[in-house]
Amino acid sequence: MSVIATAVDITLNSLVLSGVFLIVAIGLNIVYGLSRVMNLAHGSLYALGAYAGYTLVSVGLNFFVALIIAPVIIAILGLIIERTVIAPMRKRSIVYTLILTYGLMFFLDGLIKYFWGNEPHFIELPAFMKQTLPILGTHYPVFRLMTLLITAATMAGLMLFLGKTKIGLILRAASHIPEMVSCMGINMTYVHVGAFALGCALAGIAGVIAGPLYTIDPIMGHEMLLSSFVVIVIGGLGSLRGAVVAALLIGVVQTLAEFFVTDLAMVIVYMMMAVILAFMPRGLLGEGRFE
Amino acid sequence: MVEEMNGAHMNKTGGFVIRLVALLVVVGCLALFPFVITNRFYISLVNEMMIYGLLAMSLDVLLGYTGLLSFMHNAYLGIGAYIVGLFLIHVAPSSIWLALLVGVVGTTVIAVPVGWVQVRTGGLAFALLTLAFGMMFFTVVWKWYDLTGGDDGLMGVPHPDVHLGGWVLGNSGDPTVMYLLTLAILMICLLVTWRVIHSPFGSVLEAIRENEDRASFVGINVRKYKLLGWTFACMLASISGGLYILYRGYIGPTTMHAFAGAAVLMMVLLGGMGTLWGPIVGAGIFILMQDYISTMTEHWELFVGLVVILLVLFLPRGFAGLGDLFRFKNGLFRFRKE
Repeated sequence: MSVIATAVDITLNSLVLSGVFLIVAIGLNIVYGLSRVMNLAHGSLYALGAYAGYTLVSVGLNFFVALIIAPVIIAILGLIIERTVIAPMRKRSIVYTLILTYGLMFFLDGLIKYFWGNEPHFIELPAFMKQTLPILGTHYPVFRLMTLLITAATMAGLMLFLGKTKIGLILRAASHIPEMVSCMGINMTYVHVGAFALGCALAGIAGVIAGPLYTIDPIMGHEMLLSSFVVIVIGGLGSLRGAVVAALLIGVVQTLAEFFVTDLAMVIVYMMMAVILAFMPRGLLGEGRFE
Repeated sequence: MVEEMNGAHMNKTGGFVIRLVALLVVVGCLALFPFVITNRFYISLVNEMMIYGLLAMSLDVLLGYTGLLSFMHNAYLGIGAYIVGLFLIHVAPSSIWLALLVGVVGTTVIAVPVGWVQVRTGGLAFALLTLAFGMMFFTVVWKWYDLTGGDDGLMGVPHPDVHLGGWVLGNSGDPTVMYLLTLAILMICLLVTWRVIHSPFGSVLEAIRENEDRASFVGINVRKYKLLGWTFACMLASISGGLYILYRGYIGPTTMHAFAGAAVLMMVLLGGMGTLWGPIVGAGIFILMQDYISTMTEHWELFVGLVVILLVLFLPRGFAGLGDLFRFKNGLFRFRKE
């Protein structure tokens, strides 16, 4: 394979990886930015999204229908979780929330193993997406390009939602000064619930598109959780723009590292994070608000 | 946080004698245990409880006293254990104290730069970073096959004799000897930690836990003290690691995985954070429970997760906080109307 073909491959692969990181990390960031809840079960929700997608496709639904239904299911699950266990934690120290969501992670992982078992699964794709497309000497899978499109569409939709709708306006305001928003007569409980459900829906979308990219197994959520932490810590907690920059950075670095040193790719990513944090403790773009 | 955590320190001096007597009775019972019950299985089980008790206590220094959350404290148990094991295999197979010392020093050398990066961030990012660094150490140990044995773990660690001032007390391969050694070291560590926590240094850590900003306003270098607290906790964890490898003669990478880290966190929670003795009891309860649940069902994660959620929701101060439920005032089961 020529050098150009390899370069194109690496570029596209890192963009695809960045896209998945971005959707998961943005979900985590929205929940943190609006509720100050760092949801450690987010990776497991992402895995649940993938499993939901798998089940929906295997009962005969179209992949794109599953891409819409699975996030809704995860959002409803998130709603239940928020109401039952996260809401009582609101007044307590964040340490308790962290430990609680850590327990939740185990619980959801246990559920996954209980219902789907330990063995890996694969999402069956529609025929046209299994083909490859020749780009500059390499044959690139159509599905991966499709993933890029879905990521871009999701992000565009999210930006329009936050930027142009009234609910988006409330959410942006709540990420700045929550007290003021509640003084304006807006029930902050709805904001918290909405943010959590939105974050979960994003995790669900990422899960469904990650399903065909990687194998679906019970530990897929853990790796993604750690990667999205790296993304939001580097980008700045709660900063949406920071997450975009950091996701691109991590996607590229990880793809390159996997290409050159394979085994210790994650070590390089963590080292990079350590170096960035040593000089910029608040992340690249600082602790942020929604722009 | 304030209301939930400082209850344990209300009577600092009151009941000191009672506590001392209680401690001596417990230590006496533990010391006699291997001579009364000679079943090796139970001796090993209690030994493991004490090793994890030491680890849980060291995490309590961070979580209960400094207010820092470390998800992967077991990583430092692992690092200590691997260093001690490698030292015993490759350098000196018979010097137990030197090996433990090398383990502590080696772990400190690794923990200090990590802590330096971690304390530069806030409380939440600190917790996330412990997870990231812990998984990094796990990956290194898992993939560096030539040094650590990778997936197979570190095998063939020799059992050196336990000697003290020229006398040989026994071989560390003997469960009873190892049990008594663990008990002795656990008690020394408990007393040292107790002393450290009740020194001015410990008060500074508690001040940081209660309010970081105010602590810095009165002129405390918050980062420096956090780093010192972190280093102290990691040193204690590495001692538990040394004991772990001496007792098992083997360590695998799963000991350093995030799941094992969650287990340690649960021990602290079960026992009650900010009490030192609580986490040791918590470790005992947890290991008993794990032993029991894993023989009952393979879906132990469901139960572990459920127990954590219920604990945080209803019993945030753990076993040590059980008494609060029955307090005269403010308890869940009130005896008297306020």
